[in-house]
Amino acid sequence: MKSAKKEGGFLKNLPYEKRKGLYGYGFIALWMVGTLIFFLYPLANSLMYSFMDVRPETGGMTGTWVGIDNYKYVFTEDQHYAKYLVSVLGETLWQTPLILIFSLFIAVILNQKFKGRTFARAVFFLPVIIATGPVYSIINGDISNSGASSAGQFSTMFSTDLMGELFQFIGIYGLSDNMQTMVETVSNNIFSIVWSTGIQILIFLAALQNIPVSAKEAAQMEGATAWEYFWKITLPYVSPMILANLIFTVIDSFTAPDNLVMGRVLDMQSDWKYGQAAAMAWVYFLIVLAAVGIITVIMNHFIYYEVD
Amino acid sequence: MAKKELAAAAGEKVIGNGLSKKEIQKIHMQNMNKEEIAYLKRKAALEKVWPVFRFIILFGLCFIILYPLIYMVSCAFRAQEDMNDPTVMWIPRHFTLKILDQTMRAMDFWNTLGNTLFLNIGCSLVQVVTCAITGYGFARFKFKGKNLLFGIVLMMILVPNQIIAIPQYMEFRYFFGLQPLIQNAFGNAAGSAFNLIDSPWTMYLPAMTANGIRAGLMIFIFRQFFKGLPKELEDAAYLDGCGPFKTFIKVMIPNAASSFLTVFLFSVVWYWNDYYVSSTFFTENSTMALMLKNLDKLLLIELFGSATVQVSAREQILWMEAGCLLAVTPLLIMYVCLQKYFTEGIERSGLVG
Repeated sequence: MKSAKKEGGFLKNLPYEKRKGLYGYGFIALWMVGTLIFFLYPLANSLMYSFMDVRPETGGMTGTWVGIDNYKYVFTEDQHYAKYLVSVLGETLWQTPLILIFSLFIAVILNQKFKGRTFARAVFFLPVIIATGPVYSIINGDISNSGASSAGQFSTMFSTDLMGELFQFIGIYGLSDNMQTMVETVSNNIFSIVWSTGIQILIFLAALQNIPVSAKEAAQMEGATAWEYFWKITLPYVSPMILANLIFTVIDSFTAPDNLVMGRVLDMQSDWKYGQAAAMAWVYFLIVLAAVGIITVIMNHFIYYEVD
Repeated sequence: MAKKELAAAAGEKVIGNGLSKKEIQKIHMQNMNKEEIAYLKRKAALEKVWPVFRFIILFGLCFIILYPLIYMVSCAFRAQEDMNDPTVMWIPRHFTLKILDQTMRAMDFWNTLGNTLFLNIGCSLVQVVTCAITGYGFARFKFKGKNLLFGIVLMMILVPNQIIAIPQYMEFRYFFGLQPLIQNAFGNAAGSAFNLIDSPWTMYLPAMTANGIRAGLMIFIFRQFFKGLPKELEDAAYLDGCGPFKTFIKVMIPNAASSFLTVFLFSVVWYWNDYYVSSTFFTENSTMALMLKNLDKLLLIELFGSATVQVSAREQILWMEAGCLLAVTPLLIMYVCLQKYFTEGIERSGLVG
């Protein structure tokens, strides 16, 4: 009791700013302890594993230092990793912009006034509560596995060449092969794209609603078309959120149930090859981190920040 | 409201110079140049065509999103023979609860549900509170090393779980390296009591220290939110002699109620869907997501009494879909009831802007 009183006195003697700073530490103390135990220490350990040949033993991991052998193994000896890495990175590369464009498009639509808007918003946001779980991998498997394997007669709806027929119907024949395969990949992946845009749509929607009315009125007075309005008003105002969404999309792809690289990492772990698994995870993480960093730097030149 | 305005416009109210509104508009039109008229015409045409397109786009995409759910419901209530009946598309011919019943038994549904809820709700509640406290600390106080520490929060968002899972497992398995010591000192029984694998502590301990699933994102959201609140709120409380902790509880928390709810709901969803972290720390299938992940094996045991029977995926589809339906129903109910807080909460939670 006495010491507590003394402590209070000690605090009172400090200048206000310093005292407030100490309270700041008080607020984050719990998190600091947790982060040290559950984040920083495991992170450091994992980095260490990636340079070691580790074996689990009673009381923890033991291992011998092998330098960059694990990393060498990952790139030169492992049969799958490099292949998976290229395919996953390639997929992220074309899917991320597509997801961003699509979610912005949907957000613009859902921001308009029409009947049933609440329902449409509810539906578009629905994947958020389902798509991160194992349910998604089951229903995704159902839909993309065509014909005999799983969904039987139902899958025909999605597996027929809808896009090709549509082209023929409209009368587009002279399309180059590249163009056609591109359009077809997009249309065939519409399911996974729609299903991974919930949060992005929501973030864009919120950004759209933050566009000041004055900007909108000014555009109307000047006689801007919807097209011009989108490029001159909407896009600059939501540009900070494009970056946020980009980062979110990339991080989300780490945890996607069908991420091949992470699947490979897990396989290695269940084979007790922790050192190689750690090296694989770190390589992937660093590549993605570097990519996000570069994109952030580039995008920052184009982002419009409203000065308050 | 809109109808009233329209009626007023059509009602040719007499204004200025004794001209009706319509006449004024006519004169106004005559004074326009060609470009302006073209603009108005284009606008009018677009306003007529666009809703049709919008409807088609939205309807199609809504169908893509809802299709798996409709299919789940359709599958869960049909008999096996309907799968081979080409005339059955959506509505089952033989309506039955047998599939659902078998799946529930395979998943040990009620126990799993109870266990999942215990982990979910508890961890989410604890984590929301701890993350809010941390977020508030980052939002309102100046202290040395703050930027560095906040950098760690951002790292928490970026680093995938897979990187730190194994070292974390070791911590829990050997009680942060202390277990062998305890075992030597107090014998094997005491030692095994300190093996935290398979105990709820593996979920609760990180949540209690603001390090649970997606804690970094939650701290970030709370920091943004508290930064957005006016400083005058706290200044008034400080003047009245409240300390920072009391101020936080008495002034900030009531103001952040809806934000708390939003973050809590997201946290429940994340914990519900998580199977990576829980599969690392639990050897038994004690949560809904783990059950679902291993449902195909569990089903074989339930239906044929052995996990090694070879059955094609197509044969199992009904039960798998029923399992999906069972696993998402609690979330769906929550979503339907509290949809407003999901979709509107993000704006208020301050993630944007």
